[in-house]
Amino acid sequence: MKITRHVSLAAGVLALVGAAVAAMPHGAVRGFDVNGFARVPVLEGGRVKPIDSVARNSLLMIRSQQSFRHDGRTIGPDEWLLDVMFRPAVADTQPAFVINDPEVLSLIGQQQTSNRYFSFADLAPGIAEIQRQALAAQRIDAKQRTRFQSAVVNLFERVYLYYRLKNTMQLEGTPGLGAEVATRTAPGAAQRHVALAELAHFRALPPPPGASPDAWRNAGEALLAPNATEDPTLVGWARLGAAWAAQDAASFNRSVDDLAALSVAAHPEAQKQADHEITFNRAQPFYVGMVIYVLALLALFGSWAWKPHLLQPAAFGLLCAGAVVHTVGLASRVILQGRPPVTNLYSSAVFVGWGIVLLGVILERMYRRGFATAVAAASGFASLLVAHHLSGDGDTMEMMRAVLDSNFWLATHVITITIGYSGTFLAGALAIGYTLRRHLARRIDPATTKALGATTYGIICFALFFSFIGTVLGGIWADQSWGRFWGWDPKENGALLIVLWNAIILHARWAGYVREKGVMAMAIFGNVITSLSWFGVNMLGVGLHSYGFMDSAFWALTAFIGSQLAFMALCLAPPKFWRVRSAAAEKGPEQEQPALKT
Amino acid sequence: MARISSLLWGALTSLKLTIVCLAALMVLVIACTLAQVKLGTFAAVDVYIRSWVVWWDVPGTVYSVPIFPGGALAGLVLGLNLVAAQLSRLELSWGKAGLWVVHAGLILLVAGEFVTGAFQVDTQLAVEEGQTVNFVESPRLLELAVVDVTDPQHDDVYGVPAAMLASRDAIQLPGTPVTLKVRYFMENSELTRRTEADPPPMANQGVGTGITARELPRESRDDVPNLTTVFVEPVAGGKSYGTWMASNALAATQTFTHDGRTYELSLRHQRHYLPYSVTLKDFKHDVYPGTQIPKNFSSLVHISNPGRGEERDVLIYMNQPLRYDGKAFYQASFGKDDRLSILQVVENPGWLLPYISCALVAIGLIVHFGISLRRGMRRRTSPETTTAASGSTAAVEA
Repeated sequence: MKITRHVSLAAGVLALVGAAVAAMPHGAVRGFDVNGFARVPVLEGGRVKPIDSVARNSLLMIRSQQSFRHDGRTIGPDEWLLDVMFRPAVADTQPAFVINDPEVLSLIGQQQTSNRYFSFADLAPGIAEIQRQALAAQRIDAKQRTRFQSAVVNLFERVYLYYRLKNTMQLEGTPGLGAEVATRTAPGAAQRHVALAELAHFRALPPPPGASPDAWRNAGEALLAPNATEDPTLVGWARLGAAWAAQDAASFNRSVDDLAALSVAAHPEAQKQADHEITFNRAQPFYVGMVIYVLALLALFGSWAWKPHLLQPAAFGLLCAGAVVHTVGLASRVILQGRPPVTNLYSSAVFVGWGIVLLGVILERMYRRGFATAVAAASGFASLLVAHHLSGDGDTMEMMRAVLDSNFWLATHVITITIGYSGTFLAGALAIGYTLRRHLARRIDPATTKALGATTYGIICFALFFSFIGTVLGGIWADQSWGRFWGWDPKENGALLIVLWNAIILHARWAGYVREKGVMAMAIFGNVITSLSWFGVNMLGVGLHSYGFMDSAFWALTAFIGSQLAFMALCLAPPKFWRVRSAAAEKGPEQEQPALKT
Repeated sequence: MARISSLLWGALTSLKLTIVCLAALMVLVIACTLAQVKLGTFAAVDVYIRSWVVWWDVPGTVYSVPIFPGGALAGLVLGLNLVAAQLSRLELSWGKAGLWVVHAGLILLVAGEFVTGAFQVDTQLAVEEGQTVNFVESPRLLELAVVDVTDPQHDDVYGVPAAMLASRDAIQLPGTPVTLKVRYFMENSELTRRTEADPPPMANQGVGTGITARELPRESRDDVPNLTTVFVEPVAGGKSYGTWMASNALAATQTFTHDGRTYELSLRHQRHYLPYSVTLKDFKHDVYPGTQIPKNFSSLVHISNPGRGEERDVLIYMNQPLRYDGKAFYQASFGKDDRLSILQVVENPGWLLPYISCALVAIGLIVHFGISLRRGMRRRTSPETTTAASGSTAAVEA
């Protein structure tokens, strides 16, 4: 018992130390204090964030990754953004654009090969054609677009974002921000500043003293202001840009320090918020959590073959460590956003996984048979993977639209219904675990089978409770904001389906129409219903619409549903197909004597 | 006889029936969701949910055959089944108190949806800044309004619902000598300026003589209105006043005069007049800095109700409706460069039912799980039942 504890603890602590190390800032890049630059607060998407978040989200949108290899080096998001803004000629040669659609590739005279990444210079010859095609496609309703049209619109939007980033602090092809400040009254300067004010992607200049805290300005607006030459932040940015363009590390680092000092002095709150967010960005808790869950799963698989008394507790320790990292990540988002944890599809995936892992930890504490660890680690990993694929639209902490701007309802309805998803998925995952065990396990262990059955039943009750309450709370929110309790819209119907399905399982069990195996198969079908109501309804009326994630999501969802149906078939397969035939004998006297161990 | 009734009673109270109803509802909900793509939300709900049976039009014939119970039927049977099962199977004991409350809550929920289906009236109130309005309009139902505008102080309004225009050939306006003969009705249409190539116009009076109407299938998108067009011929005192075109796509005022009285003719959203008036003092539409993402919509309105001697200002904003005189006013939409505010107005006598039902079910489930938890704790000491008991414990704890 004691050694079990120690192994658990050691594995967990080791994983947490690993996570903490990952959160440490990296060293300077070629002597440039890029980390210091990353901290600079700017306003984008309606909220103040470190420029690092802008860089990461932009690169994520354009390339679907947060960093890339080029010329034998890994280029991080901040360094990339600096190049885009102040050395556009260099940035244009970096492979920042991902293009998957073969028809779009042919627009720029490329053929589909294993290389999916292209630089702006590669796109340049086809840019006029891309724009022409995209503008034509944009006139068509998003749902009616063909695959090519969606892809070309998507590429054009990314090119436009890249173009705006280039023209945020200074217009491309001009001598730079410093020159603009110095010659701001020269003829033609005002037009350039107006253009800059219109193109800027983010607002880098904090509100002047006494102005509203929302009154952030972009470089163009600041240049148009009467006292631009005395604006220390503008001057600081000008020096920073010039130093990066000249690749003068000492001067760059000095201007980073100056900007930081200005920010801390004038807007300590914004800087604190930005620093917190940057730690969150760097720690990537959901990515780290994913890795720890995989380790937990591997340890558990190992335990079935070798030294179970050591590896099983180690797996549990890792699961707990994963849960801690996951929780910290979730809590950071709550603090950063000032909102309850679920605000969009991305965060719902994170939260669903968190709910499952937490339930799994509790179940493992109760039964100590390893199955809850396996199911929780696998589900935690899967949900974070789904969340990762949902994050490609940019900032995952976007501002809430007016109708959703209600922390009370986000905290009650959205949380309860998401816990309902967690419960239904956990019941399904347990049932899959039950099925696999039946087919694969070599030992006969009726107690575990029984525990699995009881747990699944309990979790279905739990899921019914939360999905019902969540659905009704959703109705009440709808009544409060639109004047109707229930409108039969697809999302509401999806939630109702989960409730109905869980109610059917429970009533069928109470009436004795289904037994252990039937409940398990029905629980697996719960996964199908939940995935449809979670993602499927968003794709309604799609035909083959929307590009990128949602297009591939359609196939991912189809594959998921197919796999669940296969699991159901496996679950319902008669005992003669099972590895452990004797397990069936527990159920009724009509079975003959237990089969021998194999 | 007694056997039959006991058989029926057995069927009505059986869990099998519960499951069949729940499954039927699932099928209906899925069908309704999928059908929304083609039919739009309202039509799909009418076909699958607010119906007793789902009909299938046999292709190539005029026959329709019932193929599935409708949502109303499934809901009603489920409700009866709940009540009957409650009465016969669940014994009246403290141990089952939680389940009693849960099922009472569920019955109330089903009943609430029936009340809503039968009595809820959805209308809209569109008002521009500075304007005063004393009526609400139905967003989907249209009426042919014949307004006697002879007296400048006072209008007499005769509204003929569009459904009546579609189904009748002639409509006598009560209290007037005017009879409207319906020449042609198009639920959805496209209006274009008449060209030489077009067939002769159906209208021989008013603006309709210069416009060609082409009939279109009914619109399925929820956010796109039908452009309904009707051709009517007012007849009064044995005299015809010609055929007129009226459409909700036309803004022009058309009038005819009979016996010294002038009548205005227009097809517009069905209006319901209120015993009070609403003035929009200010409409606000805030966005997050540097974005187009809406942060807040709000309408500051003044309510003037001479009947009650009430004069007051109210701020209506997102998630904060005004409940007044049995109606609830919600901030729904806006237009005209943020000068026009559109309020959704809902009248539903059963609006409280879901709230009560939700509270009942939540309380019931907590009581029930609480009781099972206590029972489970007690049983946990005996080894055979440990697993089953802790199963339900998990459900409550976690």
